[in-house]
Amino acid sequence: MSEAHSHQYVEITVDDGKYALMIQDIHEIIKIQDITQIPNSRPHIKGVINLRGIIVPVISLRNRFGLPELPYDKATRIVVVNLEDDTVGIVVDKVNKVTYFSQVQPSPVQSDDISGEFLSGVGVTDDGLVGILKLEEVLHQ
Amino acid sequence: MSFDMAELKHMFLEEFDEQLQLMDEQVLSLERGEEPGEAVRTLFRAAHTVKGSSAVMGYEEIKELTHTMEHVLDKVRSNQLTVTDSLTNLLFECTDGLHTLKKQVEQGVEEYLSIAQLVSKLQSFIQPASSAQEPTSPSSSVQSSDPVRKGADEDVADSMESIGGSGTAYHRGLSLDEQLKIQEYEQRGWHVYVIELHVKSDCLMKEARMQIIYNEMAASGEWVLTHPAMDELLTMEESVGNELVGLYACEGTAASIQTKLQTMTDVDTVKVNRVEGIELGSIERKEAASKETSSASISGSAGGMSVHKKQTIRVDVDRLENLMNLVGELVIDQTRLQQVEHTLNQRYRNDDSIVQLEQISDHFSRVIEDLQDQVTKVRMLPIDQLFNRFPRMIRDLSKKLDKEVEVVLLGGETELDRTVIEEISDPLIHLIRNALDHGLELPAQRVAAGKSAQGRLTIRASQEENQVVIVVEDDGKGIDPDRIRQSAVQKGVISEQEAEGLSERESIQLIFRPGFSTSAELSDVSGRGVGMDIVKSHIEKLNGIIDIASTVGQGTKFKIKLPLTLAIIPGLMVKLVDRKYVVPMNHVMESVRVAADEIQWLQGQPVIHIREEIYPLISLHQHFGIDEPVQTKTHKSIVILGMAEKRVALVVDELIGNQDIVVKSLGRYVGDVPCISGATILGDGQVALILEVSGIFKI
Repeated sequence: MSEAHSHQYVEITVDDGKYALMIQDIHEIIKIQDITQIPNSRPHIKGVINLRGIIVPVISLRNRFGLPELPYDKATRIVVVNLEDDTVGIVVDKVNKVTYFSQVQPSPVQSDDISGEFLSGVGVTDDGLVGILKLEEVLHQ
Repeated sequence: MSFDMAELKHMFLEEFDEQLQLMDEQVLSLERGEEPGEAVRTLFRAAHTVKGSSAVMGYEEIKELTHTMEHVLDKVRSNQLTVTDSLTNLLFECTDGLHTLKKQVEQGVEEYLSIAQLVSKLQSFIQPASSAQEPTSPSSSVQSSDPVRKGADEDVADSMESIGGSGTAYHRGLSLDEQLKIQEYEQRGWHVYVIELHVKSDCLMKEARMQIIYNEMAASGEWVLTHPAMDELLTMEESVGNELVGLYACEGTAASIQTKLQTMTDVDTVKVNRVEGIELGSIERKEAASKETSSASISGSAGGMSVHKKQTIRVDVDRLENLMNLVGELVIDQTRLQQVEHTLNQRYRNDDSIVQLEQISDHFSRVIEDLQDQVTKVRMLPIDQLFNRFPRMIRDLSKKLDKEVEVVLLGGETELDRTVIEEISDPLIHLIRNALDHGLELPAQRVAAGKSAQGRLTIRASQEENQVVIVVEDDGKGIDPDRIRQSAVQKGVISEQEAEGLSERESIQLIFRPGFSTSAELSDVSGRGVGMDIVKSHIEKLNGIIDIASTVGQGTKFKIKLPLTLAIIPGLMVKLVDRKYVVPMNHVMESVRVAADEIQWLQGQPVIHIREEIYPLISLHQHFGIDEPVQTKTHKSIVILGMAEKRVALVVDELIGNQDIVVKSLGRYVGDVPCISGATILGDGQVALILEVSGIFKI
């Protein structure tokens, strides 16, 4: 658990849950922008964006968590992450802050609803629990 | 380090591939009974080049085989051996062996093909000839039990023997390669010297010392040959003597070489003599030189013996891809710039700066257009690269099938994007195999049908505007539309009623249907081979079109049209509701506006009637899950899409116009999506999807 100190995370909000992504997985964070939908692609793929000349697919974390989509607002962000050779944008409701956890607990085996399979652990903070996202699960299938 | 090795291996394989192709071509020309001189010289050089690079890479089998080939070829060159069928067949076996070895190197297998048999077959050609040669000088030759090695030493021994004699006598024992080298040095204005050098007898590790001397001299000139040979020096069983003798070429004078060598550590005595007036007896200078240029333009490298060689460099394909991507960015920016300029122009019409901006923007457009042209050209290769593989393949296959074929390759200089060439290779090979297997008849059948016994297979490439056309044509028995119809019905590809309504032309097109020719036994009935549907879909993936025409008894002709490049394509911009899409221009037959009431219904299908033709109407809205806009307009915009002989009318909400677009992939993460082949970035930064026309035809 002690190594948890060394990892920095970016904390995000989806619906009323708080989640975290490891900072080294994050390429950049951008405001929501024009997304070109791709008809008949996999349901969680929202479409593609033009990230300075590169076509980057964007997925919806709400869709992954089985939550209804909400209209984008001022707080909506796209977190662009790198996983292996793929660059993928993840739409989140809000980006909160850069943080680290003094304590990381294993993810609950029997998760109540959404997050079990997508979490690699749970960070404990003074403000409550933060689910640490397992990127490969979030992005794939 | 391991990365370096991988890169070296890659370079080696690339060169090997080129040289192998060259060998195949030359052996073929030998087999055809063409004048052997030039072919043998080219073969020799190719074998020599491969020998050198495989030795560096440590591929012993390849080195050994090419080394032995080199010797046989040397004998042919010096008229000690004549070209016979058994020799050309053996040479074919050798190139086959090399092909196998190449594959094994690619796959990185543990154990390589055994070449012992090939080597001994080759040696059986040399043996009688070499025994007829003059006995070697016992004093300077390193005796070896290996007959091949012995041959090599004889050459060196011969040349060493004649050191001190006249130049003409000297060069007699030089190999062709060495003679060419000397010729090249002389053209450079260098002088050739015989160096005789003794290291001190108390010198320890003479081999290493000689190596050092060799290397130091190589820094300011080039060694033609040495005795003992440097590559054998460190592996020699017996210990070397004190003597190093060699032919050395450089710009400097004899005196300067003398001084340089004298000052080196452990050097005892040095003798340097200039060799002059080396005449290259059997080789015509001109001929050798002209051959050099042509082989250089084919292979890009001919083993470091360049005479008036075309200046070429090898470039990593990835770098070219990057360059193309950057140009793509510029193309997009240029469209954006034009838009901004246009907007500003309307706002501040009379401002001087705007006038300037307009000029700059115009100039920018022209420069980028040129740049795009040039970069596209850099990526282009003559289709010869592909065609050259065919004669060998056709020869083997026709022998196997007992057929006689004359191959006519035309338009090999036609240039195509390298990615297109790579992708088109398999479909073309498939068509050729089919033509040989099912198109051309056996000689007896041909004669009975009143044709020449030898069939003819023509493969022709040409450029037509922005497309390359490749035709594969045979003069065989053709395709019988009735039999195609019958077997299509039998296989359930079409119903009997459908078959009734088909024209002859349409019947022949049935061979492209999936399920039509998927089994071998059916292919015999149909007269055409398996997998034509795969060939077709492959070509369509490249935004190409394949068409077929056939006359019973006269032959079959396949015509493939391909875009010159896949990176930047002309497109027709259309709008569906509020989104822009791109239709690849090569599938656009025309775009029209029709009155809404011109749309009629046939068998529950909307169709449109334009100038004698009836087109089925396709709307992508429903398929893409987008709401069709409320119809307020009295006219509909329609794009007629064509693929081979098929046409459909695509309904769009707005026709925007033509534009060159940079094709970008949607990436692995998105994967294959029906009806979408990729995306592009528009002037306003928006992403527009590119429609896949072959997908639309499948809706």
